[in-house]
Amino acid sequence: MIQLFNVCKAYQRDQNALNDVTLKVEKGEFVYLTGASGAGKSTLLKLLYCAERPTRGQILVNGRNITRFGAARIPYLRRNLGIIFQDFKLLKRRTVFENVAFPLEVQGRKRFEISKKVYQTLKGVGLEHRLNHHPLQLSGGEQQRVAVARALVVDPLILLADEPTGNLDPEVTLDIMELFKSANARGTTIIMATHDRSLIRQFPRRIISLEAGTLAMDDLPLFRGAADMAGQV
Amino acid sequence: MLLRSGYFLKRALRNMRQSPVLSLASVGTVAVALALLAFFAITVLNVQQLTASWGESLAIVAYLDDVPDEKIVNGWIKDIEGYPEVATVTFVSRKVAFERFAKRLGDDAGLVEGLGPDVLPASLEISLADDWRSELALTAVVERLRKDHRFEDLQYGQGWLEKLEAFLLLLRVSGSALGGFLVFAALVIVANTIKLTLYVRQDQLEAMAMVGGTSLFIKLPYLVEGALQGLLGGVVALGLSFMVFQVILQRSLGSLLLITGIDTIHYLPPVWQGMLVVGGGLIGLLGSLFALRKFVRFGSS
Repeated sequence: MIQLFNVCKAYQRDQNALNDVTLKVEKGEFVYLTGASGAGKSTLLKLLYCAERPTRGQILVNGRNITRFGAARIPYLRRNLGIIFQDFKLLKRRTVFENVAFPLEVQGRKRFEISKKVYQTLKGVGLEHRLNHHPLQLSGGEQQRVAVARALVVDPLILLADEPTGNLDPEVTLDIMELFKSANARGTTIIMATHDRSLIRQFPRRIISLEAGTLAMDDLPLFRGAADMAGQV
Repeated sequence: MLLRSGYFLKRALRNMRQSPVLSLASVGTVAVALALLAFFAITVLNVQQLTASWGESLAIVAYLDDVPDEKIVNGWIKDIEGYPEVATVTFVSRKVAFERFAKRLGDDAGLVEGLGPDVLPASLEISLADDWRSELALTAVVERLRKDHRFEDLQYGQGWLEKLEAFLLLLRVSGSALGGFLVFAALVIVANTIKLTLYVRQDQLEAMAMVGGTSLFIKLPYLVEGALQGLLGGVVALGLSFMVFQVILQRSLGSLLLITGIDTIHYLPPVWQGMLVVGGGLIGLLGSLFALRKFVRFGSS
């Protein structure tokens, strides 16, 4: 599903944010991307949704080399992706319903289809009673659930989440993780950037760890100690 | 895309509702610039009409020292009317010339009391045809008349015509330059105002790009918004210029302008009015296009 070959990314000369990263993520996998701040987690995710281009190397997503994509093809790549950010990036002047409906509007879906799909998705994240509210009327956890619903409403092949629980309290974090788990169970590949060790311990999955832009560890945590190791790098 | 035009229009109207102050600023800028342009166009239009009416009175006067009998004069008139540049030739007898002179003196008509029509010469007034009202045609007719030794004392407003033509050229050139400058200024201001609205909505643009909105899908509502604001600005400009025309030109300055020979002051013809509104729409559209160039990007390279 996702393959990186010797990927480098430099924002400035002689200062690589990512350095010779090669990895593969299979369809339906749930992968944590860990590392300290500045390790290159967000850069790697940005490369996957083409917000940044690699300085060197190749990236394949669903069998297509996205490093060769021109600006006109990027939107169509993103329609198969769900992207979630730590700061939610919701449209504050639009209602919950409108925020979640937006990706479907972009795809030109019919109004009836949009209403049905949005309601189902909001019900899935437990916010069907809040559909006429605006984001600022919601708690942080609820806003992130709206962001999750917006990402999931298009049934994405891949979900990319950049520190999605970074601003949330532990209880709400668990809710969000449950949503991710059920999306993953339905076949969505998930790559989640986080440095929350306790979260990785609670929901052990494959861990890709970055250190100063270099791949430091790529392992399946068969035992809880692996999560602690991931947290140390 | 055509089927979704309603969707884009709805989004454009919604954007305008969400940022009423900035929308008003855009509409106001276009309106002021186009109103100035319209006001200038009204001025040029009326001055052109005035000078055209002056041009109509342009004539060559051939003074006759001795007045031959009517038959001969009619022969001369027929000869001159045969010139392609000439529209009409009128014989003004000494008597008619004297009466005109006395009438022009008005209250001072007493000055010519005791004098007879013999003090003034008779003349032939030669007016040029509409298509030949130019310095070149005038000179050609005068030269032809000079060669014909029957008419030696000729009077014509050559210098005046040169000045008139130069004035009209200056008016057209300065009008075009000022109009171009105003349109450019409106374009820059509208582009910057729309850029401000885009700064405010940067998160919205980013979110649109993240969920797979194409460049056109993201840009279209803003282009429609710009065009709508421009059209509205054009309509307001039309209203403003009409108000200025009614209140200032027709009522306050109307009597003053009549002195210069303008009997009626004209407003912009319907085609120009349409062009003003459509021009506003185009300014808004281009302004949005310039503003959007840097905003909708899908990632750095």
